[in-house]
Amino acid sequence: MRKRLAEFLFPVESDSWLTILRFGLGLQVALYSLSLRNDWNYFLSGTPAGLISRDLAEALLSVESRFVPTLGWLVALGTHVGLREETGLIVAWICLLVSGCGLLLGLACRFSAILAWFLHLCATKSGGFMSYGVDNFMTIGLFYLMLSPLPDRYSLDWLLRKSQSKDPQLLGFWRRILQLHLCLIYFFSGLAKCLGRGWWDGSSVWRALIRPPFNVIDPDTLVRWKYLFPVAGIFICMLEIGYPFFIWNNKTRKTWLSCICAMHAGIGLMMGMYLFALIMIVLNVAAFGPGLVRGRAKQLFVRRHGVHPEATGAGPLG
Amino acid sequence: MSAALGQRMAASNPVRQAIATYLHIAGIETGYNYFAPNVPGSYKLVLEIHYPDGHVEYELPRVNSAAAGLRLAGLLDKIGRTPYDALREHLVKMVARSVWREHPEVKTVRAVFGSIRLPGITEFEHGKRESYEFLYAYDFSLRDGKDKSGDER
Repeated sequence: MRKRLAEFLFPVESDSWLTILRFGLGLQVALYSLSLRNDWNYFLSGTPAGLISRDLAEALLSVESRFVPTLGWLVALGTHVGLREETGLIVAWICLLVSGCGLLLGLACRFSAILAWFLHLCATKSGGFMSYGVDNFMTIGLFYLMLSPLPDRYSLDWLLRKSQSKDPQLLGFWRRILQLHLCLIYFFSGLAKCLGRGWWDGSSVWRALIRPPFNVIDPDTLVRWKYLFPVAGIFICMLEIGYPFFIWNNKTRKTWLSCICAMHAGIGLMMGMYLFALIMIVLNVAAFGPGLVRGRAKQLFVRRHGVHPEATGAGPLG
Repeated sequence: MSAALGQRMAASNPVRQAIATYLHIAGIETGYNYFAPNVPGSYKLVLEIHYPDGHVEYELPRVNSAAAGLRLAGLLDKIGRTPYDALREHLVKMVARSVWREHPEVKTVRAVFGSIRLPGITEFEHGKRESYEFLYAYDFSLRDGKDKSGDER
């Protein structure tokens, strides 16, 4: 039993998934920064010049914990070296964008991952009143990324520093954690939806699509498809609640992963939640994508040789 | 669950603080019941700007991008769902102040906060459209350089 648990938690794994996670999160962080370039100071200022004072969110957070990083820390640090708050916030935004680009290229991977996680967390916590689901998933992804064994072999760090192969079991462990976390997320999200009548009769799908500011498609167009809403609602519930049961099986994984990615792409396009769609697709593809195409061939290789083909340098199969 | 997360301990308890810190830095401090069990309605904040000459203009809080617009909607949702009257008023006041700054000559702003009622499919087919339901109104006035406010429901 213990051996089986250890094998499950520490499978031999290549770093393909880590490449996807690093690249995907780099793109996500860069797009997140760019999407807020004109509102960054307006959202996160601690002075009356902002929309909602950052100080209020930080004060409420400090009741829970004083050790969660906030932009207030950085602004205070900047004040010590003579930077005005406005300048400090702009410096934080530039650093976040640079860290995203660093992740995209695989340059100073570990440092970029830690910096991106830290700055994004600061912004999310200081702008707590304006954060939503995408911020939680970005924090989750960046948290796992900075703890994972970077760099991966497609990064610039690997090419420039001639890095050594990482422990394939450690790579497998962090991928497994991400996989398990996604299973928990989808299962409970699906379960909560199943408790509402609206997902069974399709009214929740209708409401989600016409609810401002997600009403990208004209309701007059949407109403023509009204017979599909109950089907879509039940399909979403089944897809989410069935995720932890069907994503592990080689026979159903491809279908389930494709459907989940299609669902998120649909949410992105039909509700204008592009960043939310991207982060969910990145997390899913990183967790369950590699090995999908020729997973069977890999399995046979591992069974025959006892190690992963990419871990031995036998060539990428996934 | 609340016991496991240390929420029954004193707020200053180091164990509770450590658990809360970990939950926040790992991004797992909230649940995953997005749009569940049902999709809630959304909220709207309309600002009535009263000019000294008597004319009135209406404004909505503005941002510069669609991505920021999603965050603004999230803010209005949080304002609408907070059970604390004082916090709600304070948040509305801050949003009103951000609009007020663009109209420094204005002495009075009334912030009307309401929920958007979404029509069902059948209602929509019968011609019903989304409607705005009044929830709260706050009057803010600038006198002697200081904010004064009052609210009504």
